[in-house]
Amino acid sequence: MSRPLAQSNPIWFALIPIGILLITLPLFGLEGYRLRLITLVFMWVALAGCWNMMSGYSGYIDFGPVAYFGVGSYCTAILMMKGGLPFLLSVFLSGWVCAGLSFAIGLPTLRLQGAYFAIATFAAAEAIKQVVLEWDRVAGFEFFGGAHGLTLPPAPPESFFYYIMLFFMGLTIGLTALLEKSKFGYGLRAIREAEQAAELSGVPTLMIKARAYVLSSSLIGCIGGVEAHWLTYIIPDDVFNVMRTIQMVIMTLFGGMGTALGPVIGASFLTLISEYLGAKFIYDYLIFVGLVIMIVILLLPQGIMGAIRRNQGRSRLRS
Amino acid sequence: MLLFLQSLVNGLLLGGIYASCSAGFSLAFGVMGVVNLSHGDFVMLGAFLTYWLFILAGFDPFLTLPVTLVVLFCLGFFLQRVAINRLVGAPLIMSYLLTFGLHLVLANLALRAWTADYRTVQTSYSGLNLNILGVVLPYSRLATFALAMVVILGLYFLLYRTEIGRAIRATAQDREMARLLGVKIFRIFTLTFAIAAGVTGLAGSLVSNTFVIYPQMGLPFTITAFCVVVLGGMGYIPGTLWGGMILGVLESLTTTYLTAGISLALTFFLLLMMLIIRPGGLFGKGIVE
Repeated sequence: MSRPLAQSNPIWFALIPIGILLITLPLFGLEGYRLRLITLVFMWVALAGCWNMMSGYSGYIDFGPVAYFGVGSYCTAILMMKGGLPFLLSVFLSGWVCAGLSFAIGLPTLRLQGAYFAIATFAAAEAIKQVVLEWDRVAGFEFFGGAHGLTLPPAPPESFFYYIMLFFMGLTIGLTALLEKSKFGYGLRAIREAEQAAELSGVPTLMIKARAYVLSSSLIGCIGGVEAHWLTYIIPDDVFNVMRTIQMVIMTLFGGMGTALGPVIGASFLTLISEYLGAKFIYDYLIFVGLVIMIVILLLPQGIMGAIRRNQGRSRLRS
Repeated sequence: MLLFLQSLVNGLLLGGIYASCSAGFSLAFGVMGVVNLSHGDFVMLGAFLTYWLFILAGFDPFLTLPVTLVVLFCLGFFLQRVAINRLVGAPLIMSYLLTFGLHLVLANLALRAWTADYRTVQTSYSGLNLNILGVVLPYSRLATFALAMVVILGLYFLLYRTEIGRAIRATAQDREMARLLGVKIFRIFTLTFAIAAGVTGLAGSLVSNTFVIYPQMGLPFTITAFCVVVLGGMGYIPGTLWGGMILGVLESLTTTYLTAGISLALTFFLLLMMLIIRPGGLFGKGIVE
């Protein structure tokens, strides 16, 4: 436990040069479409990482993380446009709004088990989406902009978002690595393996689950806020789209749930491949996505990191 | 008052359809523990099957019911054998994702094949109504409602009055014990999923009589099924009837007195509250893990 992080796994050493490379990349003339694409990869790695922090470690499947992505987007948009606040402060405050909201939703729903927690979070996300969609019409005054959404102030240069998304990706990976070694992380894994036994051995299960849920939700909210300003235009059907939830889940699952590097591998690979397929097969794209999801589940249920780990175990046994 | 009565009756008629559309979902969850997110797409396939038989072959929508039942039964059988079987006993996340993948494939294949056009089945008796003291009852809706009740009752009898039903219920209660007592549980799983798919397809045929049909109609029906089944209790078939009625009436009343969009928000809110307060359903007979 007291070993330094880098000693525990050689992969962490490789991250230092990769980090330096990523920080200096825009200085070497990376721009335009490629810069945008890499920023997008960062965003998905961060989002999948946030989902993994909660669901990958605790085993509680959050099926509504998109709620906080959307709320974060709308908060940032409203704070910037109606409150006139600077961008970074708005993102920070959006994170806090999501923290409060997720605490309020998490406390009752985290008492539910298995399928019911997943359905409850899904329902919460859809309910929030409908409220945002219908608010203006029912309340009778312009606030969320209904189905037309909101427009944000013009965005700063692309490289600005590159660094912000890089920051959030680094933050997510770092937090997950810390979590793996902390008492908090052990508590989460104890909940995943045997919740009742954990509760009986004095692990405050509800508080630990709530902490993980609030942490992951508030980060997702911040990222949502950043994306809102990046795209400068948000509509409920996009920022609350259930596909975003599915993407976070499938990326984490593909890389390996409950591992710090799983979401990194899964999200980078799947973002790039879906960008390629999306450009190449505009109409059949979603059919491919569906087939890929099914094949991953049937053939690689443990994810890539799980498969690597199994092989490591085997080679250790052999030597 | 008349407006209230009319929307109450509309809600009840709608509720019957919701119940028949959700029974298969409850069955698959109760017996196999599989949450089928592609459930609504079976409704869509059933509806389109009826539509094409009506348009191309001139079948009356109500005469297509046996066809959709058989076709969807076979589809369910096939899907269970190829994919769903692996989900039994697997973590829940697997069944969510696999069936969502299936949803994407089915919905988008349908979109490619039949385009996003909105379609309706217009029969010679589509516009005819029964008028009781000012409350208007379209004949096709009444017949649909009656058939939906027959579907639910049929399923109930199958589960509670036949030998196969007894085996299915035994498997749902305790898989290992059923296996020890000689129930071939994997055969039961296959049969259960096929029945669930068949009944859902049948409900889809009924839907085509009164609803607009289009390839993306599946997901809303899956969400409705979630809500109906949670209201009535997961895995408890008679509960879907009550769940459907409550949801139907609620939607109809909020659409009449507020707006349609709010009725959807209310549905989700109700679902959330039910899960928190009474996860076993209104009668507490649902499965609570």
